[in-house]
Amino acid sequence: MTRRRLETEGLEFGGGLEVLLAAAFEGLAVGERLEVVTSSRSTALELHGWARVAGHQPVGERSPPGGPYAVEVERGPFARVLAGRLPARTSGPPLRGGELHTADLRSPGDVPASADAGSGFAPLGAVAEVGAPAFRWTFNERDAIWADDVAELAEQASAGQWDASRDIPWDAARGLPDFMERAVSQVMTFIAQNEYAALYVPAGFIAHVNPRYHEMLMWLAGHVHDEARHIEVFTKRSLIGGQSSYALASTELSLHTLLEEPDFSGAALLLNVLGEGTFLDLLRFVERHAPDAATRAAAALAHRDEVRHVHFGISHVRRRIAADPAQAAVLVDAAERRAAKLTQMSGLSPLLSDGLTVMAAGSLQPAELSTGAAAVRGLMQAMEVNRIRRLQAAGFALGTARHLSDLHTPNLM
Amino acid sequence: MSRADAGVRVGAVAYHPRIVTIWETFLEHFEREGLPTDYILYSNYERLVAAVLEGDVEIGWHTNTAFVALEQELGGEGRILGMRDVDAEFATVIVTRRGEAFDDVRGLAGKRLALGSRDSGHAAILPLHYLAEQGLDAASECELVRFDTDLGKHGDTGDSELRVIRAVSEGEADAGAIGETTLAAFRAELVPAASGLEVAWRSPTYYHCNFTALPSFDGDLAERWQAALLAMSYDDPTMRQAMTLEGVKRWLPGDRSGYDALAKAMAGGSQGT
Repeated sequence: MTRRRLETEGLEFGGGLEVLLAAAFEGLAVGERLEVVTSSRSTALELHGWARVAGHQPVGERSPPGGPYAVEVERGPFARVLAGRLPARTSGPPLRGGELHTADLRSPGDVPASADAGSGFAPLGAVAEVGAPAFRWTFNERDAIWADDVAELAEQASAGQWDASRDIPWDAARGLPDFMERAVSQVMTFIAQNEYAALYVPAGFIAHVNPRYHEMLMWLAGHVHDEARHIEVFTKRSLIGGQSSYALASTELSLHTLLEEPDFSGAALLLNVLGEGTFLDLLRFVERHAPDAATRAAAALAHRDEVRHVHFGISHVRRRIAADPAQAAVLVDAAERRAAKLTQMSGLSPLLSDGLTVMAAGSLQPAELSTGAAAVRGLMQAMEVNRIRRLQAAGFALGTARHLSDLHTPNLM
Repeated sequence: MSRADAGVRVGAVAYHPRIVTIWETFLEHFEREGLPTDYILYSNYERLVAAVLEGDVEIGWHTNTAFVALEQELGGEGRILGMRDVDAEFATVIVTRRGEAFDDVRGLAGKRLALGSRDSGHAAILPLHYLAEQGLDAASECELVRFDTDLGKHGDTGDSELRVIRAVSEGEADAGAIGETTLAAFRAELVPAASGLEVAWRSPTYYHCNFTALPSFDGDLAERWQAALLAMSYDDPTMRQAMTLEGVKRWLPGDRSGYDALAKAMAGGSQGT
C-alpha cells in the first residue's frame, strides 16, 4: 500500500483539523494509509478516537520525545455520503451581462421527461444521497405541467416584483365623491375576491409538483406571490376610501368550481387562459377609466403580472395539445364540466356592471351614464374577441375556441 | 408472524428514546436475514443482567461493566456473539484545558480529577484502574469530582461525560476522564465546552459493549444470529441511520480478550471513593 503524509503543524481538533483530515481521507482509496504528522502530543493522542469514529483504522504511531508526532491511519471502507461520486467540476452556467438566469441553469434537454415520484428536495444539480424517506408527488411527468418558456417567465416574475404599500400613490385615492367611491370599492372588492382563487389554484399545485421540475416550482411560487400582492393591492384600494362593498355569492360559486379542477392543464386553461385572460381586458378597462391615480396604478401593475400568467397558460396548453392532440378534448371536457355546475349563473353581476359603468361614466348624469354603459358593452365584446384569440393561440381550432369562450363563466374568472 | 413468536429475544437498556428507533430498524434486518428477533428494553443494566441470567431474554446487549458483572454472577463464561467496531478498540482519554496537559500521570497528583458515572467502565472505573497501573492512586492522591448521573446506565447517556468536560472547561476540575469516542462526538457536535480542551492522556485500549448469551444458548442458533448481525451493512441505506445512532459502522464477532482489565478492576473494587 502507498503511504502518504499529511503535515498538520499545530492545527488542533475543534480548531479546523477535522476539515483538513476529512479532505485528506476523501482523496484516499480504501485501504490506503496516511501518516498524519502533528507538533502536538495532545492532537496525536486524540487522532485515534477521531479515526475510529470516522471509520478509519489507526495502524501505527511514532511519538519521539518532543515531537513531531505521527499517527498512521488506514482509510476505512465507508463513504461519508451514500451516493455516487460528484460529477467533475464544469465551467458553470453562462451569465447574461452579469446576471445568472434560471433558464441557464440547465438546458431544456436536461429536464427529465419523468421524475421519480419518491424523490425529495435535492436542489438542481445536486447528487441525492440514498436512504432518504420517500415522498409521494403527484406531478411527475414533464409534459403534464411544462411550458417551454417557464424558466424565462419565472425570471420575469422575480424581476417584476413591486410593492403594494409603496408603489401606489395612495394619497390620490382620497376624497372621491360617495357614488364614485362606492363604484370603485365594489369593483376592487370583486377583483380581490377573484384574486384569491388565482392564488389558491397554483398554491394547491405547488405541494404536488415533483421538485425535480425546479423551474416550474419557481414559476408557481412567483405566481402565488403575484396573486398575494394583487389581493393586497385591491383590498387596500377597496378600503382606502372608507367604503365597504359586497363579496358576491355568484362570484363564490364560480371560484369554487375553479378550485375543483384537479388536472394541471385543466386549471391552466380555466384560470390562466380563460379567467386571467378575461381579467386582462377588465384590468385594462379599470386602468383606462380609473377616477384616481391609485386605482390606475394598481390596475396597471396587476395587468403586467397577469400578462405573464396568461402567457404561461397559453404556452402550457399549446405544448400539451401539440404533444398529445387528444388533450384538446380532455380540456374541453374540463370547461364543459365547470360550465355545467354554473348553469344557475345568469350573467355578469349587476353590482359589477353598475360599478364599471359609473367608473366609465365619471358621473351619474344620464348622458355620461349612457357613454359608460356603451364602454362596458364594448368591454364585454373585447373580452369575447380576445378570449377566442387566446384560445386559438393555445392550440384550439376556431370552432372549439368559440365554444370554450361561450362556456366561460359570466363571473369572468 | 407476530414478534412475540420470534425465536430470539434481545435485551437492551433504554438509555435514550432512540433505542426504540435503533431496535425497530435492527429487527427488520434480522427478519430479512430469516432470523426473526424481538427486543425487550430495561431501564438499567442490573435488570438486564438479571433477565439474561433468568432466561427472560436469550441475548443481552451489555456494556463492558454489565458483561463483567454477568460473568461474575454466572461464575463462568458467557458466550459473546458480537460487538461494534468501536468496542474492540475503546480507550479513555483525560482532557485538560488547552496548555495545561501533563506529560506523566504523576502530574495529576494533588489535582481535581472529574469522573463520569461510577458504574461507567470508560468514564470512571477503567481510568482509575489504568492510572493506578501507571503509578497514580487517583482515589487517594487526587480530589475526585464525580458526576454520578444516570446510574444503572453505565455511562451510556453521555450525560456524566458532558458534565465532566464542562467541569474542566469551567475550572471546577483540572482534568476529566471521558471515552475517546465521546470526545470525538462532542467535537463533531461542536459542543462549546469541548473547544478549549486537549487530550493529556490516553489509556490502553480495551473492549466495550458486546452481545452476550448464556453458555446454554443453542450453539447453532447463536452462530446463525451472529452471522445475521455481521451481515448488517453501513452501506445499506435502510440501516445507515440506525447504525449511526448505535455508533457502529461494522459489527465484529468479538471475543473476550479485552475485558481482563475491567474484570480485575471490578474484582478489586477499584471504583475509588
